[in-house]
Amino acid sequence: MPDTASSVAEMRKRVVLHADRVAHPSSMEFPGNFPGEDLAWDLERFKKDFRIVIGHIGKDDMEFDMIGVDAAVANAFRRILIGEVPTMAIEKVFVINNTSIMHDEILAQRLGLIPIKADPQAFALRRGTADEPTDLNTIVFKLTVRCEKNLDAPAGAVHPDDKFINSNVLSSHLSWVPQGEQETRFADDPCRPVIPDILITKMRPGQEIDLEAHCQKGIGKEHAKWSPVATASYRLLPDIQILKPITGDAATRFAKCFPPGVIAVSPNAAGIPEATVVNPRKDTVSREVLRHAEFEDKVRLTRIRDHFIFSIESTGIIRPEKLFPEAANILIKKCKALKAALAASGALDSGAGGE
Amino acid sequence: MSNAPAIHEIYLLPDGVDKVVETKSTKIPNASTFHLEKEDHTLGNLLRAELLRNPKVLFAGYKMPHPLDHSVDLKLQTTADTSPLTVLQEDVNSLMRELGLIKKRFENEMTLHNMQSSDPNGMPYTVDRAYS
Repeated sequence: MPDTASSVAEMRKRVVLHADRVAHPSSMEFPGNFPGEDLAWDLERFKKDFRIVIGHIGKDDMEFDMIGVDAAVANAFRRILIGEVPTMAIEKVFVINNTSIMHDEILAQRLGLIPIKADPQAFALRRGTADEPTDLNTIVFKLTVRCEKNLDAPAGAVHPDDKFINSNVLSSHLSWVPQGEQETRFADDPCRPVIPDILITKMRPGQEIDLEAHCQKGIGKEHAKWSPVATASYRLLPDIQILKPITGDAATRFAKCFPPGVIAVSPNAAGIPEATVVNPRKDTVSREVLRHAEFEDKVRLTRIRDHFIFSIESTGIIRPEKLFPEAANILIKKCKALKAALAASGALDSGAGGE
Repeated sequence: MSNAPAIHEIYLLPDGVDKVVETKSTKIPNASTFHLEKEDHTLGNLLRAELLRNPKVLFAGYKMPHPLDHSVDLKLQTTADTSPLTVLQEDVNSLMRELGLIKKRFENEMTLHNMQSSDPNGMPYTVDRAYS
């Protein structure tokens, strides 16, 4: 049984996972909580303790570690990434002709969800219907597709792709109609769907779709189609503590309780196989090990409270490594707006003579 | 037509509405409720966490009065030598510095990462994906 001092020290840094509950999940680093310690907010201390480690950057996803921040900060970033970084998405669909089996409203909904590659910074927000659509706030796409029989199809063709032309309506069928100065402004990077082969609907000979789609700027809070991320999430770094040596066959059984690569079984100094933790990052913290009575009192599953493994999966509109600074900008902008409003309200108070 | 709420109502401050309104408590000394318009848990929880690290703060908490009301109520009580408004202003400033620092660190790390990965002999730091 650990002594009180070390268990308090652990409580402050670790979230402990028991079979039936999670112990001390929230931070307790507040001024006055521990005698003789100054836990007040201090920028210099934060500068010293805070670390970012970039892990993996892929085509559309990235993973990095954010160490030394409060959960509120990590969560604010996650929420901003999902709900408040603006993008462009199809918002208004004007259907001229639609003889496909898909109803207009379903078609419009599906069109809205297609990620549109366009720089959101280059566009303005359209404030309600009173705000006229212009080339500064709207991108226009046309979708004109007609399905026909393929007269050159081989005699025995059975597959619709061979028998018909345009039987699949894809996102690449959306053609951009530049408005005003858009053609010169976006000459090097034309507005287009991020992924060309998203299936919108299927058609058969004689059916056709003719519509005009207007993209507007928006945020994920309003509708998920404007979210720049597929997911943005974080988890705490697991820390598996082996309290008593686990050796022999038990070590193999112990390793089986974790995903591959978390626990290694290798001979110890005495030549007996012993389990050691090699990569806790790979652990999913399934808590399987806590179901086995033989490992009771031998292992402690914890997570490090201020070590966030942040993962961002972009929809492809904005590069994942650009998304995080963008989210930071939006948060800072929110704080600035609040600061200005507070200053204004403070000025009002003193202007009125105070109380 | 429909009675659906206007689409931008969730994040755009209408004309003539104050972003923040301070209501001083009549029962508790040095206590105020700040009503923040068009904000949610993102800023509410962030401010609460920041305020709790300030030794001058005796109480800090927030709530969203109604999920369809896009506003946050931040309750704050401070020690007698200052006022809730001053403390909130100070902490918004330190929050901005903190966020600015996080952004700068991230961008520095990105520059470093890009330099490492362009160097064929460099050993880039890789984090094993949990499920790969």
